[in-house]
Amino acid sequence: MDELIPLTPQLWEATYETLYIVGLSLFFGGLGGLLLGLGLYTTRPGSLLGNRAVFGTLNVLVNIFRPIPFIIFLAAAQPLARAVTGTGIGNSAIIFTLSLAAAFGISRIVEQNLLTVQPGVIEAARSLGAGRLRIILTIIIPEALGPLILGYTFIFVALVDMSAVAGYVGGGGLGNFAIQYGYRQFNPVVTWAAVLVIILLVQAVQFLGNSLARKALRR
Amino acid sequence: MPLISLRNVTKSFPPARRGGSPVVAIDNVSLDIEPGEIYGVIGYSGAGKSTLVRLINALETTTSGEIVVDGQQVTGVPDRQLRKLRLDIGMIFQQFNLFNAKTVWNNVAYPLRIAGRSREDIEARVSELLEFVGLSDKASNYPEQLSGGQKQRVGIARALATSPKILLADEATSALDPETTHEVLGLLRRVNRELGITIVVITHEMDVVQSLATRVAVMDGGRIVEQGDVFDVFSNPQQAPSQRFVSTVVRGVPSPDEVAVLQERHSGRIVTFSFRDGDSSQASVFLDLAGAGIEFELIYGGINDIRGRAFGHLTLALVGPAPAIDSVLDAMRTRINVKELA
Ligand SMILES: Nc1ncnc2c1ncn2[C@@H]1O[C@H](COP(=O)(O)OP(=O)(O)O)[C@@H](O)[C@H]1O
Ligand SMILES: [Mg+2]
Repeated sequence: MDELIPLTPQLWEATYETLYIVGLSLFFGGLGGLLLGLGLYTTRPGSLLGNRAVFGTLNVLVNIFRPIPFIIFLAAAQPLARAVTGTGIGNSAIIFTLSLAAAFGISRIVEQNLLTVQPGVIEAARSLGAGRLRIILTIIIPEALGPLILGYTFIFVALVDMSAVAGYVGGGGLGNFAIQYGYRQFNPVVTWAAVLVIILLVQAVQFLGNSLARKALRR
Repeated sequence: MPLISLRNVTKSFPPARRGGSPVVAIDNVSLDIEPGEIYGVIGYSGAGKSTLVRLINALETTTSGEIVVDGQQVTGVPDRQLRKLRLDIGMIFQQFNLFNAKTVWNNVAYPLRIAGRSREDIEARVSELLEFVGLSDKASNYPEQLSGGQKQRVGIARALATSPKILLADEATSALDPETTHEVLGLLRRVNRELGITIVVITHEMDVVQSLATRVAVMDGGRIVEQGDVFDVFSNPQQAPSQRFVSTVVRGVPSPDEVAVLQERHSGRIVTFSFRDGDSSQASVFLDLAGAGIEFELIYGGINDIRGRAFGHLTLALVGPAPAIDSVLDAMRTRINVKELA
C-alpha cells in the first residue's frame, strides 16, 4: 500500500489519459463506424441503395481489417498514423489507430442492429413519400437506437481493453501505468489499483449505456 | 375517367438463384378503378396482390405496361416525382408498420412534416385525424402500448394525413380478431363515405370483400381471372378460384359427398333452387310445391344479402308422386335455376 500513495498523481493522470484516448477514439471510430455500417446496410442488395459492387467491396474491406489483433494493427498502421497525425508514437498516434480499428468493428455492430429494423416500417415511410436520406435519419436510426447504444457501450469496453497496449508506442493510460509502475517494479498492489480503476470505469459506462438504452427502448 | 388505370401491366422479379427463371408476379393485368369506389382484390397467398398495390404507389416499378393514377403517369417517372405522388396515395398494412420509436402523435405527423406543412397546420391536422379514428387520448402513447385494432387506426390516420385521394389497404384486417376486424372495416367504410376516398382493399378473406367492396377482382397466379360487381361475382362466380372463394362465405349447392350424406338422412328427391334478386321469389316456389300437394323440407343452403340485394341456394327434399313433382319443377325452370341432385 505504501508504494501506491506516492503514485496517486500518476494514477489520476493515467485515468485521465485513458478516458481521453478512449473517449476520442470512440468519437472518431464511432462516427467512422456509423458511416461504414450505414454503407454496409444501405448498399446490401435489396436495401435502400442496393449496390452489389459497393456492398461487396465494403464487406471484404471490413472482413480483412476487423480480425487483426490490435497490437499488430498498431505496428502495421504506424506509417499511416505518422502520415495523418504527423507522429508515429504517443497518444495522437494511438487515438488515430484505435479509431481506425474501432471503425471496422463498430461498422458490423451498426450493420447488425440496423438489420433488425422491420422492412415493413421502411416500406411505410416510403409509402408516405419519404426520401432515402430522410428514412435513414428519421426512421432507421431512431428505430435501432436502443441496441445501437448498447453496441457503442460494448465498444467502449473493448476500447479500454485495446488502449492498454498504448505504452508500446509511447502512449499513456492505465495499461501503461500498470505495466510501468506495477509489473516492471514487481509491485502487484499498483497493478491491482489500475485494475480496480478500470473495473470502476467500465461499470460506470456500462451503467450509463444501459440506462440510456432503457430510455430509448422505454423498458 | 378512372382514378387508377392499369394497362397490360407485367411485373417480374429477377430469379432468386442464378440460372433460375424470373418470378412473374403480375402477368398482363389491366384494371380500371373509378373515383369513390371500394375496389376489392382477392386471391390466395402468392397470387400477386401485394405486388399489384405496390405498383400503384410505385413502391415497385413495372416491367412493362402502363399505370396512370389521377391522370398522372406512374411508370417511368423519376423518384422525386414519385415521392410527391405518394403523398396522394395512403397505404395501410397487415402488420400496421407503425414507427415504434415515435409516439402516436408523431406517427401521424410524420407525413405532414414530409409534405412541409407548418407547425400550426400539423398541430390542427393531427388532432383532427386522431379525433376521426377515435384515439385522441392515445396521442402520447407509443405503438407497443396499443392493441392491434388501435394500431391499425393509427395506421389509417397516418395514411390519411396528407388528404390522399386513394387508400391502399393490404390485408389491413388479416392480423385482427373478428370483432376488431368489424370495427376497422367500419372505419374504412366511413373513410370512403365521409371523406370520399377511393379504397383498394387487398385480402384473402372473402367476407371482407363482401362487407366492404363494390367491385372485385379475383387474382390467381399473377392474373386477374375474373372481375366485376361484387353481387355478380358472389351470386354467379365463373372461374374455379372465384368459386372456391365464394364457397367460403356462401353456402351454395351441396357437393356430391354432401348430397350422399343428405340422402342418408332424408327421404325423397333432393333439388336445389337458386335465387338472384329479380328472379321469382322464394314464396312462389313454396306456394307452388304446397299447391301440388308435395311435401318439402329445407335441408341445405342459405340466402345472402349484398348491399340490399339477395341471392342464395336452397336445397329441398321433396316427397310426393313423381309426375306431380316433375311437372311443378318444369314449370319453375322457366323462372329460376332448378337443379335435381338426387
Ligand atoms: N421483392 C420480391 N422479390 C422476388 N419475388 C417477389 C418479391 N415480391 C413478391 N415476389 C413474388 O411474387 C409473387 C407474388 O407475391 P405477392 O404480391 O406478395 O403475393 P400476395 O400478396 O398475393 O400474397 C410471389 O411468388 C412472391 O414470391
Ligand atoms: Mg400479400
